[in-house]
Amino acid sequence: MLKNYFLIACSVYVRRKLFTAINLMCIVLTLTVLLVLTAALQTLFYPTGVEGKSVRFLQVERITQTNKESSQSNGLGYKVIEQYLRKMKTVEAVAALSGINEVSVFQEERLVEVQMRHTDAAYWQILDFKVLAGRVYNADDFEKGRFVAVISAATAKKLFNVEPSVGKKINVMGQVFEVIGVVADEFHINAFGGLWAPITTFPNSSYRNEFTGYFSALLLAKNVGDIALIKDEIAQISKQINADEPGQWQSTHIWADGKLDFVARTLMNNQTVTDSGAGKLVAIIVAFMLLFMVVPALNLINLNSGRIQERASEIGVRKAFGASNAQLVAQFVMENILLCLVGGSVGLLLAKGVLVWLGSVGIVPHLQEDLNGQVLAYGLVITVVFGLISGVIPAWRMAQLDPVLALKGGAT
Amino acid sequence: MIKLENVSKTYQTDKIETLALKNINLNVKRAEFVSIMGPSGCGKSTLLNVIGLLDRPGMGVIEIDGKALNTGRDKDLAAMRNRTFGFIFQSFHLINDLRVLDNVELPLLYRSCSAKERRQLAQDALARVGLSARMDHYPNQLSGGQQQRVAIARAVVGRPLILLADEPTGNLDSQMGAEVMDILLKLNQEGTTVVMVTHDERQAKLGGRIIRVFDGQLVH
Repeated sequence: MLKNYFLIACSVYVRRKLFTAINLMCIVLTLTVLLVLTAALQTLFYPTGVEGKSVRFLQVERITQTNKESSQSNGLGYKVIEQYLRKMKTVEAVAALSGINEVSVFQEERLVEVQMRHTDAAYWQILDFKVLAGRVYNADDFEKGRFVAVISAATAKKLFNVEPSVGKKINVMGQVFEVIGVVADEFHINAFGGLWAPITTFPNSSYRNEFTGYFSALLLAKNVGDIALIKDEIAQISKQINADEPGQWQSTHIWADGKLDFVARTLMNNQTVTDSGAGKLVAIIVAFMLLFMVVPALNLINLNSGRIQERASEIGVRKAFGASNAQLVAQFVMENILLCLVGGSVGLLLAKGVLVWLGSVGIVPHLQEDLNGQVLAYGLVITVVFGLISGVIPAWRMAQLDPVLALKGGAT
Repeated sequence: MIKLENVSKTYQTDKIETLALKNINLNVKRAEFVSIMGPSGCGKSTLLNVIGLLDRPGMGVIEIDGKALNTGRDKDLAAMRNRTFGFIFQSFHLINDLRVLDNVELPLLYRSCSAKERRQLAQDALARVGLSARMDHYPNQLSGGQQQRVAIARAVVGRPLILLADEPTGNLDSQMGAEVMDILLKLNQEGTTVVMVTHDERQAKLGGRIIRVFDGQLVH
């Protein structure tokens, strides 16, 4: 039966070249945009590349304090990491990292703007950076406050062009660091940056006493099953911080979130409730994708409905020989899905091109999204959903055709 | 085999109601060859469509092979059409996008039948109409007579109890028409009930029993 449907679909599409071309263009453009978006979301939410361990690490980024009248939410202070998080029993490792700072590097009588992070040594243990040259700093470098720096490939090119970077000195806002390693450029939330130095090289040590600040922490679980335990321990720590540092606030909230929860909590600003809003975020993304499909789907519905007269004879014959309405709907929907799959394949190639282009022109720095297996799987789902949305209504209308009228109208 | 009791059918178009069939009472026995004759627009094809469950009567009872058809469910009617009837149309209604063999297989797609079995049955049916050599051709590569023979192969491939032919020789010259009639008569002799609409008195007489329709009623 499938072969029969396939042959018919191919013949119809080859015979109606203009119709097929318009349909395909519509499908390709829609799916290209959705696949690029899917690739970006996949990179954001799923454990890939430098954040390959993200399935087993949680992120603590904000500390929120509330009382009856007001609330305030700030970045995490280093004191919280040092005094509470590093002492957690349920984690394998805790990494501290600062937010991105735009700094000026004075190099060979030039001022170069670089995005800098301060981190501890565990940062390099939790994130899987690809080291291109030299090494990353270790616990000893961190403890002793050595002025060593790791730079990204892009920064190395900016500062030293083609010369080897390792061993070179750089002047960062008056502090001189020795470059000890070069890592690959990354676009992930926690890995994005151009220059990394130990937190212990901060010009002063006041950060150590700060309860709020601009740090965040990555908590690496021993295994995925421990994630819930870590969250429970964090809930206890929230209460403990509140007891230790009551101030004017009645309650303190810190959350350890996976990637999706982290993004959702940040976007939804759910800083005082357990629910990160991830469900709502996923619903919004799916709704947006469906909405994005509606206009091209309506166009396809219109085009497909116009084919009813052309297919009338075939519909009449199939009904006369025992096809039920449901079987005809299935046939026409499958034909549409087949066309969508062809469009989806072309869309994939185009999406790949768009991603390469976006990466090369530098609109999005260090963009490395690619069409991996998961994106392809989502692409397949999106394609089939699009095929269903745009195919069901015309298929249903075709299947409802009265067989006698169909046979009269479709005389060959 | 076919029993119609007080079957009436009206068509409603805007404010005009047209009575297409009026109180039709008809009995067709197993392996009978019945020809329906009458002037154009008298209701012959409507009667054939009602018998073949392509059209639903407004009133009356239809009994096929001893079973009264009182279901209106599309799925049940489709299954009944698939198992019981084979249709032959004046204008063949072959699907030009499919090869002859695939066209003949079509009724078998709607019943549980393996691809191998379908192919074998379709090849057998084409052999019966003398078109084994044309199974990989497309309908528009065949003459009118050959196309109608393909349509007959399609109609009989599922071994239906009843063949319903609506002016099967209407678009053919006399020689091709005679060939098609020979096939229908042979199928009838093998036990298939045939109900044929025709304008050709001579062909109708070949079948045996003739019933005449005039203004939607049977005339004797």
